[in-house]
Amino acid sequence: MIIWQRMPQNISRSRGVKMLKKISRKNAIHVMLFYTGGCNGCDIEIANAAWSPRYDLEQYKVILTWNPREADVLAVTGPVLRRTIEPLKKIYEAIPEPKIVAAVGACGTRCGIFKDFGGELGDSDEVVCRVDEVIPVDAYIPGCPPRPEDIIAGIAAGIPLLLER
Amino acid sequence: MGEKDRKETAEVEIPVGLLHPAMLEPFRVRFFVEDELITDCEITLDPYHKGIERIMEGMPVEKGLIITERICGICSHIHLWNGTRAVERGLKIKVPERADSIRVIMAELERLHSHLIFLAHAMEVLGHETMCMRAFTLREDIMDLLYIISGNRVHYAVPILGGVRPRCDIDEYRLEELKTRLSKLKLKIGDYANRVINDSMIMSRVKGTGVLTKEEAIKYATPGPTGRASGLDVDLRKKMKEYKNYDFDVIVLDDGDVKDRVVARALESIEAVKIIEQALEHLPPGPVSNRSFDVGEMKSSISYIEAPRGEIYDSCSLDETGRIRNYQNRTPTLTAMASMEIACIGDQLTDGMLTVASCDPCLACTNRAIVVENGKERIITQDDVKSLIRRGLR
Repeated sequence: MIIWQRMPQNISRSRGVKMLKKISRKNAIHVMLFYTGGCNGCDIEIANAAWSPRYDLEQYKVILTWNPREADVLAVTGPVLRRTIEPLKKIYEAIPEPKIVAAVGACGTRCGIFKDFGGELGDSDEVVCRVDEVIPVDAYIPGCPPRPEDIIAGIAAGIPLLLER
Repeated sequence: MGEKDRKETAEVEIPVGLLHPAMLEPFRVRFFVEDELITDCEITLDPYHKGIERIMEGMPVEKGLIITERICGICSHIHLWNGTRAVERGLKIKVPERADSIRVIMAELERLHSHLIFLAHAMEVLGHETMCMRAFTLREDIMDLLYIISGNRVHYAVPILGGVRPRCDIDEYRLEELKTRLSKLKLKIGDYANRVINDSMIMSRVKGTGVLTKEEAIKYATPGPTGRASGLDVDLRKKMKEYKNYDFDVIVLDDGDVKDRVVARALESIEAVKIIEQALEHLPPGPVSNRSFDVGEMKSSISYIEAPRGEIYDSCSLDETGRIRNYQNRTPTLTAMASMEIACIGDQLTDGMLTVASCDPCLACTNRAIVVENGKERIITQDDVKSLIRRGLR
């Protein structure tokens, strides 16, 4: 009832459904966490930002999930490894439109220490590339690892993008 | 469905993963199930090999050692400490007592936050959200203490060759702050551990599931709290010179089920607080680092350390210019996960994932190396290891 009150009157049915979806989506953003092969640090910090009562993203109706089919935001931590490049593409395709992607951490944004850095044998062969070379990225959250405040800020910055699409 | 088909589908394979909410990290478990009972289990840890040792080959030693911290984001301090310790042992660098104490404080704080992550996850998998949230709340206070000492929440970079970094020195102000916060935290952790251990609802769910007997634990070399919950009285902290001044108990429990693994970690958190209190009380005065040493050629040097999840092994050698040669690292989850394959046989399918999660797996650090022979993966047997050691000793 409350949602219908917020909607304008005398509009077409399809337009109404679209607006309703937009309003509903704003109230339940699902973040999917996919971990392409970092060190766990960013991972724990995202879980911390979402669940921990001190930061508690869930109070802003941002919910952590592991199901790509109900996700709106894909948070990718870690550099893309040779073995996770295909799963990453598949998971990105499985997420319904509209979707945004957040690359979290130094590894997600710039491959961190695993690329462009190495001894005599060069950098690692297993580490293929950055996240934005595989899938389009909308929000970058740098840091090693980013603090939970940064993650909240990054995801909050991405939500308007999601609602515009 | 006819009678014949029904018989053929009696044993079913249920794959879990690559992603599963019970574990943050991708790995794959295949449960072979007969009438909801697990008859066999296969865990694949493949997707994570990053080749960290390969990156470190030929790097200057201090630059290379900082990479060891990025092996794992939960127990990052202990990896760096163990790498540093291996080099210090090889080069015979004397570490000041104050530096050792600060390293021990960091390691125990890390053990606390690691165990609380485990408890939070275990409660999440059990479906007890209140206790999960309480563990996360407690963990934030510990992260604050780590932040006060080192200035970062996860990758602290405290140890350096010959001591600890000067920014991580515990001065008067920090000491007071740490002591007051820890005294409050001690009560909270005690409360929490008490509540976990005495909660009949939690205990009835985890009691008797995923039993790992002492014989199996010895056979699979189960490390750390997981092994101690099965009755193995092994704690490297009792043998390390850094810990010889501290009085603490090694928690050894007998049942070897999920209950014991949860209880062992809850009790170990209390012991960790004890060690930190003693270390803060008797913090030795003096410098925090001894930087008067020459980095030169070093024969292969090894170091074992007790991480939150079990023993970590590091070995490393240096060439004449002080560059890292043949760095090796072995982490505890490798054997802990292998023993969980055995532990979950005979359980209900619903408990299978709980059992696998109960060894506190940390997969970022586990994928170290795969031996490939003629294009096929090969499993290293005990004889291979013996021949390798023999070759290394020659």
